[in-house]
Amino acid sequence: MEELSALPPEIPRNSPVRVRTISVNSMRSLRSVAPAFARLPTEHERPEILAPTPRQPLGPNRQLLEHSAQQWVQSLGSPSSSRPVSPISPTRRLASLAEESQHVKAPTPLSASMIPEEPLPPREREQEHAMARRWVRWMHKRGVKSWVLPTALLASTCVKLAVGLGSYSGEATPPMFGDYEAQRHWMELSIHLPFSRWYTYDLQYWGLDYPPLTAYVSWLCGLAAHWINPSWVALDHSRGIESVGSKVFMRSTVLFFDALVYVPALFYFTRTWQATRSKRSQNLALLTLLFQPALLLVDFGHFQYNSVMLGFTLLALNAFAFEADIIGAIFFVLSLGFKQMALYYAPAIGGYLLAKCLYLGSTHGGKLFVQLALTTSLSFLVLFLPFLPPFAPLSAILDPITRIFPFARGLFEDKVANFWCATNVAFKWKNWASTEVLIKLSAALTALGFLPNVLISLRVAWQTQLRAGQPRPAGHTLFLPLLPYMLLSSSMSFFLFSFQVHEKTILLPLLPITLLLSNAALDSTVFGWGVLANNIAVFSMWPLLKRDGLGVQYVALLVLWNRLLGYNPLRLPALSFIQILSVALLVPAPARYPDIFPVLNVLISTPVFGLVWIWSIKCGVEASWALDSLGVATPRPARTSISINEEPSTTHGTKPASIGPSQGRKRAPFPSEEK
Amino acid sequence: MECVELVAYQRTTVILSELVLGAVLLRFIRGAVDPPTQRIISASLFLHPGFLIVDHIHFQYNGFMFGILLWSILMARNGNKLASGILFAVLLNFKHIYMYLAPAYFIYLLRSYCFSPSGKLEIKNFLSLANSVIAVFILSFGPFILMGQIPQILSRLFPFTRGLNHAYWAPNAWALVTAADRVLLKYITRTGANVVINSSGVVSTSRGLVGDTVFAVLPNIKPAHTFAITVVFQSVALVKLWFSPTYKSFLTALTLCGYASYLFGWHVHEKAILLVLVPLSLLAAERHAYFRTFILASVAGVFSLFPLIFTPGESMVKVIYSVLWIIFVYVPLTRRVYEYPKSLSFVIIDTLEKIYLAGFPLLQLVVTLLPIYASRRAEATAPICVQSDDFTCPEPDPQSVAAPSSAMEFLPLMLTSVYCAIGLAWAFCRLMYVYLNEQTYQGPLNRI
Repeated sequence: MEELSALPPEIPRNSPVRVRTISVNSMRSLRSVAPAFARLPTEHERPEILAPTPRQPLGPNRQLLEHSAQQWVQSLGSPSSSRPVSPISPTRRLASLAEESQHVKAPTPLSASMIPEEPLPPREREQEHAMARRWVRWMHKRGVKSWVLPTALLASTCVKLAVGLGSYSGEATPPMFGDYEAQRHWMELSIHLPFSRWYTYDLQYWGLDYPPLTAYVSWLCGLAAHWINPSWVALDHSRGIESVGSKVFMRSTVLFFDALVYVPALFYFTRTWQATRSKRSQNLALLTLLFQPALLLVDFGHFQYNSVMLGFTLLALNAFAFEADIIGAIFFVLSLGFKQMALYYAPAIGGYLLAKCLYLGSTHGGKLFVQLALTTSLSFLVLFLPFLPPFAPLSAILDPITRIFPFARGLFEDKVANFWCATNVAFKWKNWASTEVLIKLSAALTALGFLPNVLISLRVAWQTQLRAGQPRPAGHTLFLPLLPYMLLSSSMSFFLFSFQVHEKTILLPLLPITLLLSNAALDSTVFGWGVLANNIAVFSMWPLLKRDGLGVQYVALLVLWNRLLGYNPLRLPALSFIQILSVALLVPAPARYPDIFPVLNVLISTPVFGLVWIWSIKCGVEASWALDSLGVATPRPARTSISINEEPSTTHGTKPASIGPSQGRKRAPFPSEEK
Repeated sequence: MECVELVAYQRTTVILSELVLGAVLLRFIRGAVDPPTQRIISASLFLHPGFLIVDHIHFQYNGFMFGILLWSILMARNGNKLASGILFAVLLNFKHIYMYLAPAYFIYLLRSYCFSPSGKLEIKNFLSLANSVIAVFILSFGPFILMGQIPQILSRLFPFTRGLNHAYWAPNAWALVTAADRVLLKYITRTGANVVINSSGVVSTSRGLVGDTVFAVLPNIKPAHTFAITVVFQSVALVKLWFSPTYKSFLTALTLCGYASYLFGWHVHEKAILLVLVPLSLLAAERHAYFRTFILASVAGVFSLFPLIFTPGESMVKVIYSVLWIIFVYVPLTRRVYEYPKSLSFVIIDTLEKIYLAGFPLLQLVVTLLPIYASRRAEATAPICVQSDDFTCPEPDPQSVAAPSSAMEFLPLMLTSVYCAIGLAWAFCRLMYVYLNEQTYQGPLNRI
């Protein structure tokens, strides 16, 4: 891949380092080489000037251009260095012109492969392992970067469909089947029964236990299914139906809602939260997020609609980055209304919004608080409208509520990699305390888990609070970058300590950590934690996936995603034992200890999740220290440096800068936790 | 015999055998005229949707076979013609469908290896080539000769007792002729023109069965006719090859040989299109003329393979995968080879070809929606019941719903076949024209 290495890895737009290295002299000398090149600086993005990618076939001059541009780029060195630009020697330019004139008839080769290339410094060679990075760079270098986004989306769709070809949860296991049958059953009962009976009909057979938005979505899907083939959703008669057609239909509904909610949310996330990054790194981040293996396996393999819930939360985050807090709150209510699991995020979101009110001061903040309270309760009312008077008696509202929050079940279900299940190996909680005590204990531990980061954001908000009459500065609030960490610590503490956790709920902590990871440099701490958490999360779901018959998909998606990111688990000694163990899991368990592998799995995964939780709190604390020195002395020093080259947005008053960790970029809103 | 382990084993053997293809394609990059372009072509061949559909979903070992074919072509490129001949003989003994390509090999090796450029016979070369090829055949057929099984083998290998068209018409010239026959029949029965109609042909013509195709209006085709037409078209290309036995000329003639056999052969299976597409891919980045031919043939050829996969879940995968593939081949290569059409006739041809290519998404839409429409129409005749609040309708019997009329079932296949056949026949004409005027279409491969 020698011709791929000619470019520097990838350069953030507006990077102060980059701006310093562009010297006017070198631009002028380039322009004098060929008039065709002079057109390029009018393009909207700076890095395009650097990349030797002429748009049209430039005839014989093209190779020359590539040659000189490549030399120029190479003379810059890595983006983090600030060596001066060396001028292009005119003699070499003439020599290459003469060389080029030999074959005019034949089409020009794709790259100037005859140019000797300098060996890469070790760090950049390391990055060559990242398949996604290489691919995006290749596309940009070929001048087909406009195709990066559509092909990435198509490829992810293709992968999702291919995963969907496999079996699903509970396939061919009567009488109860699995999650697939549950979802299908809800479609069936929602189109055939009135609202009042949705939450009461035959509860023993997969009674509806998700909030109303899931029920409405099931109702829509059920209508479509009934239109196509009524036998798929016939009341009672269709239980356990496993025809080819119904499977394709069910799979395509997941794909449809994923494409409707989650994929746009991811796209806007890379465009809002990473607004100051180059298009290239935004697309790279999108690739990382699109192919996240855990979600693909659970949604398209196991069969659930988690991406809808996660997508609504993500849309809420995007709205917060746009300073549209009311819309964000509505999106989060939708997320809660789709799956009650979104409650794991509630402390973080609530904490953030409270901090925002605090920050805006008594008048504006109070107004915002009232608005938020009103819209939130109003959207809940709308969601639950069919179960409220005058459409139903007041007691009807209790049916969904008791179904959604089942405290009657045990402390944990199956083997789940959380605190209770892991410690249960040595310490039998059920013998020691009653359910009442355990509920209180788990609630206390959970609160202890999410409070630190929430308090930190409140403190930051208090310190940077606007005085009366002070104009609102442009850009996002200082504590917005804390939000992913808050989400992570809150959802992870719920996962580790709360009551009745399912192994699939690891998807909730995975969303914020993958968002952080998508933005991180390859050698940063965030990257390491993000990939580790993702891999371990998929591993922790192995018993579930194995039961579903998704072994091939499990291996394939893990390999694909790690290859995309350039993460090689086999090179890391600390992780290799996990790889060996996952191979060992293919071997049937000894008869004496049928549960030995799942228990081992739990014992391996739980500490990692615990560490991730502690790490997220540590990041929050570090950020608050950093803000202490910034926020109190000068109100908002970081913001001015971010938005130097930001053209004023037309639709929104503010365009948020890149938020989150930008390790190795030296231009994060607050010092990163790299070292 | 169907169990998960067996399927997994068989599929794994396919994937492993495809490593041959991968290795050969990697070798192709080394020493290519323009390695970055060859890399794109190699990747496109390795990830060819044809292989995905035919090998990994339908199940065959084409990746492996084409690995050997490409190895043989690579040897020819590198100037090792003896090895090229031996490898092709080995390939013939794996699968006799490669007979389609044999004439081009024969002429090329004879002219460039067994004769000196001045036209003198090189006895040493000739004998070594002939002996090694014969040795390969003896090794392969030896055990069966000893057991006296040769007639049985031949009758299995060359089934001339089957019909002109395969069950689903492979999109070749005969598909067009058969379709024309159908249309003429419709026209005649409607206008009542005084033409003799073969009554057995009215009911025949592919109701989805492997059997004899009998035309109702047009004269019937015999195996000898198809053979003669194929030989005529092949010999045009072969004469040209004899006079310019270069590597590029060999590649083009090889493609044309396979192409002629595909278009005019007897009982051709649609999978045989890979025989055309694989060598044609190696020519894709030559000039815009070659590239456009390649795109036309690839799009039509891959689309014609779609009916092999008919389960709805896999259908979506195959369509999206093929779209991705064509984007990744088209977008980087077209920037490299694009040339403006120089005269009015070229502009018209260019526009027509673009319109033709744009028709494929539409065709896919029609092919997808027609069966749904048919099944819904069949359903509409079923009794309708009104749904009350707490009561549900008795569900209709799924058997009666899932039985659309057979005409509706065959129509999408016919449409696919005819539409693809138009493109493939046109691409053949294009390639033949380009080949015969090769001196105006010089490209990088001419340097070999």
